[in-house]
Parts: sequence; structure tokens; C-alpha cells
Amino acid sequence: MNKNILFLLQHFRGRKNRCYKLAVRSVRRAFVKSTKARKEKKRLLRALWITRIEAASLEHGLKYPAFISNLLKSQVELNRKMLADLAIYEPKTFKSLAALAQRRRQEGFLAALGDGKEPEGIFSRIVHHY
Amino acid sequence: MTARGAPSRFLGAALCCGLGRYVRQLQRLQLLFSPVAPDARGARQFVEERAAEFARGHPEVVLYVRNQGGAAPVLRAEYLNGTVREELIANKTSEEIAQLATKLANQSGLDVVRIRKPFHTDNPSIQGQWHPLTNKPPALLVRGPRLAPPQ
Repeated sequence: MNKNILFLLQHFRGRKNRCYKLAVRSVRRAFVKSTKARKEKKRLLRALWITRIEAASLEHGLKYPAFISNLLKSQVELNRKMLADLAIYEPKTFKSLAALAQRRRQEGFLAALGDGKEPEGIFSRIVHHY
Repeated sequence: MTARGAPSRFLGAALCCGLGRYVRQLQRLQLLFSPVAPDARGARQFVEERAAEFARGHPEVVLYVRNQGGAAPVLRAEYLNGTVREELIANKTSEEIAQLATKLANQSGLDVVRIRKPFHTDNPSIQGQWHPLTNKPPALLVRGPRLAPPQ
């Protein structure tokens, strides 16, 4: 029984990695923390992706909320993880996505401010998959 | 188990099995049991009935049968990357031992530990990984105080 616990906590600090009584307490806390952290990990990773996408879209002159909302409006349903990976490993693809979002934004402004006389934007058309 | 307390590895294929033809990672199976001990009965039955079938069905694997003496009966699998896995076969029927043997034969020798990510690439970037100068305009176009005016 001792051996099972002691192998787990060799990277702990102080007497917790040597003395059984202290080790039992710290192992229990470590398990509890690791179960609770599984929910936190999802939040942390999503926040990390959002930060990266924000930085990448600012390089191309767009703010994060504008980028994401316009991508969704153009029916590009990439999640934040893929967008962050594209921004790191495929910078040209990300640049084209930013350009798409920018164009859709401009068309949105024209549709809102213009009086309907101008032709509807190409990128604002919605594709229906039936 | 905690993430740092228990060992973990990245996903990988042994010997790039997905690219070329399938290579069975099991090199040899050693059946170590004594001919007299009562808990090795299943092992003895396996050797009598099913070992030849198994060996014919898995031509890349070498099957050895050895006398172990006093120790517990064991099925030892050795893989191409050097890992040795021992499974106890005491008090098991010959069917169970056959199932164990097929399971070991289908495994690769990589450790059975937590896999960090369910994906892996050797070439993650095709367009070139981002670096701070990817989206900056080239130096000749930038007009700064140091650049001499064009003549």
C-alpha cells in the first residue's frame, strides 16, 4: 500500500515525499485537485485559444469580436481551437480568413446604412444545405 | 492518478506502421511454467492443444516453451522496441491463455500509459510556422527615420 502512494508523489516538496502520514494527506488533496482541474482545463484552454486568435486578428487589423461574429455570419464554423492552430501553423490561411471577415463586415455596414438600392453583398449570401 | 505523478507519453506509431506495410511488433512469446505445478495446468493444456495453432496463425512470432521450476507460470512477451511484458497465467484456462496471447500479439511495444494528445504530426506546418516577422511588411517598404530617402 505504501509503495503505491510513494511512487505517485516523488515530485512533491519537503517531507511529503518521504513520510507516510504526511504523504497520505497530500496525495488525497492532489487527487481532489486533479479531478476539479478537469473542468478548469477546458476553460483555460479556451481562454488561451481566444487570446491567440485575438493577437493574430489584431495583426491583420480586426478585433476579436468582429472577427468571430463575421466568420459565423459567413457560415465558416471553425472552432477556436482550429482557428488558433491555423493562426500558428498556417498564417496565410488565417490571413485569408481575416480578409473574409473584413469583407463580410463591410457588406454588413453597407446593408445597414445603405438604402437597399445597392446590390446585396456576395459574401452575405447564405448557403442552404438541404 | 495525477498528470505529473503518473507517466505519460505522446502518440506514436512503432516503426511507422501506418506508412509502410504492417509489421507485427511482437518478437517472441515465452511460456515459462513447470510441468508439475498445479496452477500451470491451463498452461500445459494450452501447449498441448492450442500452441501449434497459434504459432501457425502468427508466423512472425516465435513461441518458446521453457521449464520455470518453482516460480509462478508466466507468459513473457518481447517486442521489437525492447519492452518486455510479463503476464501471470496461473490458474487460467487454456482459452484464456490463448486470448491473452492474441492480445499481446496485437499490441505494439509502446508503454501502456496516458497518451497526452490523440493526434500527432511530424509536419504540423505547411505554409511555414508563424514567426514575428511573417505579417510585417518587408524592410525596404518601411519608411523610418534611419532609412535614406530614395533618390
